[in-house]
Amino acid sequence: MRRKSVRSGVAVLLVALAGIAGCRAAPPTKRLIAIVTPAHDNPFFKAEAEAADAAARALGYETLVLSHDDDASRQDQLVDSALAKGAAAIILDNAGADASVAAVRKAKEAGVPSFLIDRELNATGIATAQIVSNNYQGASLGAQEFVRLLGERGTYVELVGRESDTNAAIRSKGYGDVLRKYPDLVAAARVSANWSQTEAFQKMETILQGSRKIDGVLAGNDTMALGASAALLAAGLPKVIVVGFDGSPDAIAAIRRGEIRATVLQPAAPIARSAIEQADLFLRTGSTGRPEKQSVDCLLVTPENADRFGIFALKREAAGTGR
Amino acid sequence: MSLLVRLRALVALAVLVVVFSYLTPAFLTQGNLVMLAKHVALNAILALGMTFVVLSGGIDLSVGSIAGLAGMTAGWLLHDGLVLRPLGVVVYFSAPAVIGIGLLVGLAVGALNGLLVVRARVAPFIATLGTLYVARGAALLISGGATFPNLVGRADLGNTGFTLLGTGTLLKLPAPIWMMAALGMAFAFVAGRTPFGRRVYAVGDNERAAALVGIRVARVKLAVYMMSGFCAALTGLIIAAQLQAAHPATGATFELSAIAAVVLGGTSLSGGRGSVGGTLVGAFVIGVLNDGLVLLGVSEFWQIVIKGVVIVAAVVVDQLASRPGTGAVPGRQR
Repeated sequence: MRRKSVRSGVAVLLVALAGIAGCRAAPPTKRLIAIVTPAHDNPFFKAEAEAADAAARALGYETLVLSHDDDASRQDQLVDSALAKGAAAIILDNAGADASVAAVRKAKEAGVPSFLIDRELNATGIATAQIVSNNYQGASLGAQEFVRLLGERGTYVELVGRESDTNAAIRSKGYGDVLRKYPDLVAAARVSANWSQTEAFQKMETILQGSRKIDGVLAGNDTMALGASAALLAAGLPKVIVVGFDGSPDAIAAIRRGEIRATVLQPAAPIARSAIEQADLFLRTGSTGRPEKQSVDCLLVTPENADRFGIFALKREAAGTGR
Repeated sequence: MSLLVRLRALVALAVLVVVFSYLTPAFLTQGNLVMLAKHVALNAILALGMTFVVLSGGIDLSVGSIAGLAGMTAGWLLHDGLVLRPLGVVVYFSAPAVIGIGLLVGLAVGALNGLLVVRARVAPFIATLGTLYVARGAALLISGGATFPNLVGRADLGNTGFTLLGTGTLLKLPAPIWMMAALGMAFAFVAGRTPFGRRVYAVGDNERAAALVGIRVARVKLAVYMMSGFCAALTGLIIAAQLQAAHPATGATFELSAIAAVVLGGTSLSGGRGSVGGTLVGAFVIGVLNDGLVLLGVSEFWQIVIKGVVIVAAVVVDQLASRPGTGAVPGRQR
């Protein structure tokens, strides 16, 4: 009986492993690029990971696509694994500007260059390149459109991202620097909804309990904009102007439906492709020919031009021609 | 019974190692195995503390938050120092003192858990769920949500050396592996060879009976939660040392991996049955899955599914093995 139990345990485990049996690693003839991003359940990170993956394969690289789930300790372990597997370069959307320094330094010390995308590192000279979208420029763009839509007057709410995230602070500053110039624009509330759709929905409902005289909502990202928009629609206030940030496919669809009025698209896919191109150049020639810190401008998405945008890129870029 | 359960976890581990070695040549190399053990150490240390809590019939959901709080405490003391405003001075502690204070924080939260369970008679699940939130909130409050960067310390302040806890090596093996091994041996000895260990099993097996034979149940319970808090704090300090930064979200959901390791190792969630050695094997099963699936390049979503399947499968086998009439007596002590 004992032997039988052990045998059944082995059988169950083998069944569990059958699913991965098809993934047998190919012989290491091609060079490997590891692509490490936050979880793919967010379309932004999925888009950048897939764009990088496709670009690397097109250039003849093997890829290892991993997710650190915004856990710096997990990220540290994934970098270990990528190095152990012999990665030639690492494309990284990191899990924290400070908490990721040690992992990137470890890769550099192992002779593996890192190309950071989307989020910066609070250190220079460790990563080979840091390619991020210009959040301040994007926020100014979004705020100017917001002001225009409101007719330069009214009461508005600002939903801020997670306070510990550098991008939340930069975007909020970009918004503030524009809005401050218009004395007839009055801030009713400025609250953090931690980038979360659910939290934005609930906070918006709470704010509406206090006052329904809200003309506009300026959100630090699209998921919060969508959450706020849902709360406004449920409260029977469809005319409130909502502007987001990121350019997610969901937000662009909402712009087409007229629920959100504008968003600022971060070109995640072109940035990811650019990182792969620079990694390829660096591996072949020893230099990217560019400065470490590179910033890429964001684009305004409105009902008029929404059809021109694909998944975190202009449509012709999404088709793979690049710039 | 214990032998069979331990064998089962070992068989699972052996199967995984064989499968991964077959699928990827990078797996069974010395460098990879050392790395694997270093990764396992974090979850294993958490799970070792958790083992005693589970053996006593409880559960500790707060370990991940305690890890985060201890790391943030260390980051705060290393980075900002202790500001004594009325005196107008800033006190910087040496690295060993910072580690000691971090561990004390873990012991304190563990003691709070124990007191809630013993004195306030709150169910362990609820008591530690409460401290899960409180400790996480406290970790965020320390810095207002920000990360403490660059914890290498400053020579002029005399607080360098903290990062050795995570990155130091002895005989070419990283420090976390040594700590896992030392704690594993110590805890196995405590569980199997000391009166305290026997009392933990007795309390978990039948609390009333244990009390009737004169065991001071309250003391035993307080002690196991403090052990768990200590292990959790140590894990948090190691992570902060490895990353050379303390992030307030560190350790979120770690409690689930720790519980999974304990259960995989054959410790019964109803208490009184299980072993420290089994937990170590269970932690390695999870670690091998984590790293092996990454090496294979399996998609992250499949990784999650496979981990779940393995955990449930292991417990199913456990149930079959301990079904009455199979010769094994459920709930019996080792």
